Amino acid sequence: MNARTALVTALEVLGWWAALTLLWLVLISTVDTLEWAVGTSAALVGAVTARAARRAVGAR
Amino acid sequence: MDDPLIVVVLLLVAAAATAAVAVRDPVRQALVLAVLGVCLALLFTVTQAPDVGLSQLAVGSAVTPLLIMLSVRKVRRRQQDGKEKER
Amino acid sequence: MNGWTWTATIALGVGVGAAVWGVVTGPLRRRVVAQNLSSALAAPGLLLLAQGYGRPAYVDLALLLALLGPVGTLVFARLLADDLAGDPPRAWAVTLAVAGYGAVVVLVLCAVTGPGRAMVKLLVVGALLIGGNLVASRALSGGFPGSRRG
Repeated sequence: MNARTALVTALEVLGWWAALTLLWLVLISTVDTLEWAVGTSAALVGAVTARAARRAVGAR
Repeated sequence: MDDPLIVVVLLLVAAAATAAVAVRDPVRQALVLAVLGVCLALLFTVTQAPDVGLSQLAVGSAVTPLLIMLSVRKVRRRQQDGKEKER
Repeated sequence: MNGWTWTATIALGVGVGAAVWGVVTGPLRRRVVAQNLSSALAAPGLLLLAQGYGRPAYVDLALLLALLGPVGTLVFARLLADDLAGDPPRAWAVTLAVAGYGAVVVLVLCAVTGPGRAMVKLLVVGALLIGGNLVASRALSGGFPGSRRG
C-alpha cells in the first residue's frame, strides 16, 4: 500500500464515518454525551465494515 | 378507545392467517406468510406493544420467508435428482 | 381516536387489505408484487399511527419495515428467479402509485412536524421506503440479470 492508496482509504473511511454518525444523530430521540460516544464508535465500526463490503462487491 | 382500528387490523390478520393455511403451494404460502408477518406487526402496534411488533417485523418479513424458500429449493433439487436417477 | 388514527384505519384497511387480497389470489407474478407492496402500504400507516398516538418512538417501526421489507422481497426475487423468468411481473403503474402514496404521507407528516431532527428522520424513512421499494420491484421484474449466478 503506497501513500496514495492509504490517503484514499482514509478519506473513504472518514466519509463513511461522518455520514453514519450523522445518521445516528438523526435517528435517536435525545442528543447527549453518552449518545455521542456510542454513536461515533458504532459509526467507526460501521465505516470500516462499509469499506470492506464495498471492496468485496466491487471486486466481482 | 381505538376500537375500529383494532377491529380492522384483527380482520386483516384473520384473513391473512386463514389464507396462509388454505393456500396449498409452499412457495405461495411463504408469500402469504410474509404479508401475515406485516399484519401481525400492525396488530401488535395498535395494541400498544411496539417492542413485540419490532421483533415480529425482524423475524416475519425476512427470516421466515428465507428459511421456507431455502427448504423449498433444496427439496425441489432433491426431487429432480431422484427423477434423473430413475431414468 | 383522532383524525390521524382514523386516516390510518382507512389507509391500512384499504391498502393492506388490497395487499392481502392480491397475495392470496391470482398468478405468481401478481402475488410477488402484492407481497412487495404490502410493506410499502403498511409503513405509511405506521407513520400515521405514530403521529396519531403522539409517540415519535413508533416511527422506528416504520423505519425497520422500510429497511426489511425490500430485503424480504429480494429473497423472493433471488430464489424465484427461475419461476418468474418466463412470466415476469410488470406492475410499474401500481408500484409508482404506492410510492407516491408513501411520499404524500411523509411530506404531510413533515409539514406537521416542522423543521428539526424529527423531520430529517421522517425524510430518511421516506427515502428508504421509496428507494427500497423501487429497487425490489426492479429486481422482481428481472432488472438485475448479473445477480442470478450461483
